[in-house]
Amino acid sequence: MLAIRNLSFRYPTASVAALTEVSFEARRGEVLGLLGPNGAGKTTLIAHLSGLLPLQSGDITIDQQPLAAVRARQPTRIAVAPQEYAFYPSLSVAENLACFAGVGYLSGSDKKSRIAECLAFAQLERYATVHADRLSGGLKRRLNLAIALLHRPELLLFDEPTVGVDPQSRAFLLHAIKQLAQDGCAVIYTSHYMEEVEAIADRVVILDQGRVLTQGALTELLNASGTLLQLAVEGDEPERLQTLLAPFGDVTRQGAGVQLTLASRRSLAAVIAAVDATGLVVSHARFGHADLEQLFMSLTHHSLRD
Amino acid sequence: MLLALMKKELLALSRDIHGMGALFIMPMVFIIVMSMALKDVYTPATKRLAYAVVNQDQGKTADTLIERWADEAGVAQPLPAQWQDEVRAGRLKYVLLVEAGFSKVMDNLASQGDAKARLLTEPGLDNSVFATNRMRLLAIAAQLRVEGLLAKLPRKLNASALSGDAPVVAERMSVGLRPTAVQQNVPAWLVFGMFFVVASIAGLFVEERACGALSRLRSLGAKPWQLIVSKIVPYLGVNGVQATLMLAVGVWLMPEIGGEGLSLQGVNWGALLLMLLAISLAAVSLALAVACLVSTHAQAATLGPILNVLMAALGGVMVPLFVMPPVMQKIATYSPMNWGLEGLLNVLLRNGDVASVLPHAGRLAGFATLMLVVAFGLFRRRI
Repeated sequence: MLAIRNLSFRYPTASVAALTEVSFEARRGEVLGLLGPNGAGKTTLIAHLSGLLPLQSGDITIDQQPLAAVRARQPTRIAVAPQEYAFYPSLSVAENLACFAGVGYLSGSDKKSRIAECLAFAQLERYATVHADRLSGGLKRRLNLAIALLHRPELLLFDEPTVGVDPQSRAFLLHAIKQLAQDGCAVIYTSHYMEEVEAIADRVVILDQGRVLTQGALTELLNASGTLLQLAVEGDEPERLQTLLAPFGDVTRQGAGVQLTLASRRSLAAVIAAVDATGLVVSHARFGHADLEQLFMSLTHHSLRD
Repeated sequence: MLLALMKKELLALSRDIHGMGALFIMPMVFIIVMSMALKDVYTPATKRLAYAVVNQDQGKTADTLIERWADEAGVAQPLPAQWQDEVRAGRLKYVLLVEAGFSKVMDNLASQGDAKARLLTEPGLDNSVFATNRMRLLAIAAQLRVEGLLAKLPRKLNASALSGDAPVVAERMSVGLRPTAVQQNVPAWLVFGMFFVVASIAGLFVEERACGALSRLRSLGAKPWQLIVSKIVPYLGVNGVQATLMLAVGVWLMPEIGGEGLSLQGVNWGALLLMLLAISLAAVSLALAVACLVSTHAQAATLGPILNVLMAALGGVMVPLFVMPPVMQKIATYSPMNWGLEGLLNVLLRNGDVASVLPHAGRLAGFATLMLVVAFGLFRRRI
């Protein structure tokens, strides 16, 4: 549905590019997780898709049509739920929906029924007459979602949609977004919360410093990232353990223990045997694949929240 | 789309209590307070000043002087026992004291004496009122002296030759409307109030931009010109309501609370509407330029009122132009508020027609165009 090819962009006063040769696709019916620390280029990318920045280099197409042409004809095919509360705090929930519906040329009974549908989808019917600035953080996020859905968009961009919400509202939003993808929307979802992206994304694109580091189906990326062993021994000797395990792969300190990403052709049994031979007593062991956070750190060498 | 945007703008303004207060209540209060406070500047109150008479002479000429003074200044109040204290405290504005021997001095040209008629006023009496009363007393005394002189001439003159009004007339040029404090203050504070949309528009615009709603509107396909027009039109309406309200206050409310009413008799309505439209366009355009210039709510809340007060002070809204020194009067001609005020005064005080206000309206329209160009340029850069 959405195809981005070799997109590069530099702000007029910036010395480095915000985006460099970025390419990826978003498909109908799936959630694409867009991950990256602050300054990775996510906001610039979303600004392009929202029509707020001009193309400098590369292509963005929607169903093989240039984005600019699609936006000129039907700007409401793409909707953004930005990180900020992008609505009017002094207006009620229903007044906000009516305003944005009118701006997108909805009118009459269509406008009325669509507002009712979106209120119902976001479970905001009870709050229709409440001023937006009196809503809780979770309800504000739901209003943001409801406004984004007004014009039945085909491509939905969610920029950190769960920042500052309670666990209940977070669960509701994640479920709703997953539902939208199942209903046929293409969803791009950016978040600092790796567990959220793992929970709902079908594919991920990892951005850092304006470049795509990796992309693909989430399960494939995680499987390809190698086998993980987290180990701690009695006597609080992580340095000794780190030295011992270094020949088996990539070792990092993790609290009182270490985390080993096994190199290919190295077996877990050999690692256990090596530890056993030293006489160290294992106090904690965990075995499995890397999660998204670990994958991200191994690619960027820094945390997503840095 | 435009209708939805305009409706949103009006809804947001109607929920902004402070903004509504600044736009409607503040100029209304200014009109009422300033008109009442400056009432006497335009309608001298010498006849209403409380005074008493101390007549130590009791002669005929002294009695005549006191009678003639009462014709000019109204009936004297009974003399309090401690009248000096009453005058010093300001409860009596002045006392006319005729010293013993005053009639003798006045009647006998050959006699010399120190007896005088004295005006003893309270310490804070306005200088112009003080001078006016002094001149009036001098004039009455001179008249009595001349009458006394003529009475002693061997050949009697007809006394009626000395009566009647003095051959001196001083009056303000007018075309039927008498300038009053209300007539001066309504246009002044109306212009000031209309320009207060700067703070409202700028504040709401910054909020719209900061919360991301503006970006959302743009992503929904709203063009910059649509966003700007959607702000201009509602505020032209707001200015229209302001103007109607302020004129109504002048015409109907002021007489009810003891002030003089605003007269719209003979006003050229076309010229009035043209001036109001030009002022409104200038105010809204300036507001949009400021709104696009500032980055934060605090900047909007500070810069808007500062600009307003500066333009008002320089433009003759707060201090009438005629009391300013020539340099300041020259500077005033660069203030858009002055163009608006002078145009409205032309219509309301001088029965000016459309042609007479065209220069003022033209300057305001030029200013509005310049501000819109600035606003549009900044808007495109900011979004």
